[in-house]
Amino acid sequence: MKRALFSALAAGLLLCLAQSPAAAQTATPNIAEKLQLCTGCHGEGGLPVNPDMPIIWGQNYYYLYVQLKDYAAGRRQNEVMTPIAAELSKEEQQALAKHFAEQPWPRTGFPAVEAAISQQAQRAMTAGACTECHLANLRGRSGIPRVSGQQPAYLEKTMLELKNKVRQNAPAKSSLFATFPDEDLKALAAYLATR
Amino acid sequence: MNRRTAASGGAVGLWVTAIVAVSLGTAQAQEVKPATIYGDMFAVKQDMLNRSAGDGNNFLHTNANYHQTRYYPARQINVSNVHQLRPAWIFQTEVVETMETTPIVVNGVMYVTTAFNHVYALDARTGDELWHYVHDVPPIENFCCGPNNRGVAVYENTVYMGTLDAQLLALDAKTGKVVWKQQIADPELGYSETMAPTAVNGKILIGTNGGEYGIRGFVKAYDAKTGDLLWTFNTVPENSVGVWATHDATGRDMHRDIEAEKAALQANGDPYKTLGGGVWQNPAVDLELNRIFFVVGNPSPDLDGSLRPGDNLYTNSLVSVDLNTGEYVCHFQYIAHDVWDLDAVSPPILTDVAGADGQPIPGLLHGGKTGHVYVHDRRDCSLIRHSEAMVPQEDMWTLPTAEGARMLPGANGGVEWSPMAIDPNLRLAYAINLHQPMTYHVDSTPYPEGKLWLGGAFKVIPTEEQWGNVTAVDYDTGKIRWQVKTEQPMIGGVLATAGGLVFTGEGNGLFKAYDAETGSVLWKFKAGAGVNAPPASYTVEGTQYIVVAAGGNTQLDYKRGNDIIAFTLAE
Repeated sequence: MKRALFSALAAGLLLCLAQSPAAAQTATPNIAEKLQLCTGCHGEGGLPVNPDMPIIWGQNYYYLYVQLKDYAAGRRQNEVMTPIAAELSKEEQQALAKHFAEQPWPRTGFPAVEAAISQQAQRAMTAGACTECHLANLRGRSGIPRVSGQQPAYLEKTMLELKNKVRQNAPAKSSLFATFPDEDLKALAAYLATR
Repeated sequence: MNRRTAASGGAVGLWVTAIVAVSLGTAQAQEVKPATIYGDMFAVKQDMLNRSAGDGNNFLHTNANYHQTRYYPARQINVSNVHQLRPAWIFQTEVVETMETTPIVVNGVMYVTTAFNHVYALDARTGDELWHYVHDVPPIENFCCGPNNRGVAVYENTVYMGTLDAQLLALDAKTGKVVWKQQIADPELGYSETMAPTAVNGKILIGTNGGEYGIRGFVKAYDAKTGDLLWTFNTVPENSVGVWATHDATGRDMHRDIEAEKAALQANGDPYKTLGGGVWQNPAVDLELNRIFFVVGNPSPDLDGSLRPGDNLYTNSLVSVDLNTGEYVCHFQYIAHDVWDLDAVSPPILTDVAGADGQPIPGLLHGGKTGHVYVHDRRDCSLIRHSEAMVPQEDMWTLPTAEGARMLPGANGGVEWSPMAIDPNLRLAYAINLHQPMTYHVDSTPYPEGKLWLGGAFKVIPTEEQWGNVTAVDYDTGKIRWQVKTEQPMIGGVLATAGGLVFTGEGNGLFKAYDAETGSVLWKFKAGAGVNAPPASYTVEGTQYIVVAAGGNTQLDYKRGNDIIAFTLAE
């Protein structure tokens, strides 16, 4: 009898805990306000307002989460993103990453590249074995970002930042891009945007 | 079709649905109709596994048998009739991505896997699907060289698979339902699984990927029934320094700066916690010695030795441990303090070889990324001889530089992970090789906690010609018996048969049969996607089949596909 009573009390306690606002917030943080902030730059429909900002709609979850984590930790720096990410809890970082990963990749319509640029980019892709990580469809997976259909100005900027170790949260990429001339990275960016 | 364990495949699926509707209506009723001519004989007994080298009906191990000879004893398909070989059936999976699976065949049922950890059970006679397991898309997974999976292990009534998010799964062989699962290691730190496990004496053995992520490698043994961890062998000991070896296994100077390394060791201590040393190919099992033999992969970070002073034991090594306890028995290191990623990957083969005095001894063969076949005495792991180089070697060992230093072989080998085969009568080992010139770049960066960590870059030289070859090596002498050049660098694996044949596929989609004795191409088939998986063979109802996956390859960017193709002789 005592045991049954204790069980009932314990179950009641668990129920209360589960329904408490704190517990609810931990499970699914309210990110509505944060989302408004995000869409201010990354766009209402997934197309960013500036060409050198990345498309994050439809980007891979783990990649997005790691970027927010790295901005907060200073491993990746940006005058806008660093303070925003630093304010986010781990749960908020994950919830935001999940939200954007579940959105469809926007229609872009970046212009086709000239044959010479395309060839230059494909040579660079062979040399760098890009599809080994980003896969044949160049959409990556998990912690590897989708690069197909990404904004070319952003791709070029971030590859140069990696090359010049301004962006320091992907050391293998920094090492790889350091072996390419800037023109190859420019060609790659233009080519990947149209894939 | 995102079902975890659904019965599917046309008539079989309907049959099951009908049974569920009219009878129990419980989970038990979801069993799939057995597709074997032997009725309900799914069970794989230890005795069957032990005798697999002489079993011309089944294909029970990823590398054919515990000695990993990939020598299949059936001879219905042979040098005189192989020209009549035709596709019997083609099964298309849902996943059009890199395929490295070896089909496993048990009493007429075939188990194959795909990239991203799908498992299919097929009727080996017809290619009809019996069940399909889809692993949940994990939020976190890391893989360096493609979302590969190399197949399953089978034991009693269970099928075992490792996953990209570093789990070990046990599936019911009849239904594909999960029996148990174990988290092997933390995928967030770069651990992942691509190898087929090995089943032996109630244990499931599995290593880990992650040599490009700063893991600490291991081989683990789990209880086949319960999934409980039985033992762990860390491939990197807490004292990983070794003997400060200055020359490689073939006697070439590796140009190490031993004084600088000693200073780094003094300053920063032993780097064992993030030193890499993955094991991602099956161990060979010697049931008489009660030991397993496996090769350990590269140190982390691949190209930057400054952060990891010492020999980096037991990276780039052959290692033997006790099967019951996982205790160290012996090792042989091919390249101490490797900075080229020319590590030890291709699974070792156990066979008798001529010792140094010409007398037969229990030996072991390993095909190296360096382009040599290494021949060992497996009693103490010592090296007896190495073969002639199977690919061009130039400027070994030139140290990587910031600007990039050219050296051959490139970092993919030589022999990559591709398993070799042997013909014990001809005393030849068959290896497939790459010639892929690269430059080696060093760029020192600190441990990035679970991100790709190469310490530089490997870069293919796009202006230089690439090619491959199939090479037969006399393992008693180390001499090359025959060699056939291929259009592209080779990756996948080899099968030899008692029919005097050697089968292997190419990135351009060609699947070929060679005369094991001479290297003559006796038959070929164009698959339409890269044939970059190890072939297998089996016999059902008196008909011998050769089977191989054609799914291309991520690492070398060969055309992707999703086919399992089974061949028989035309009637």
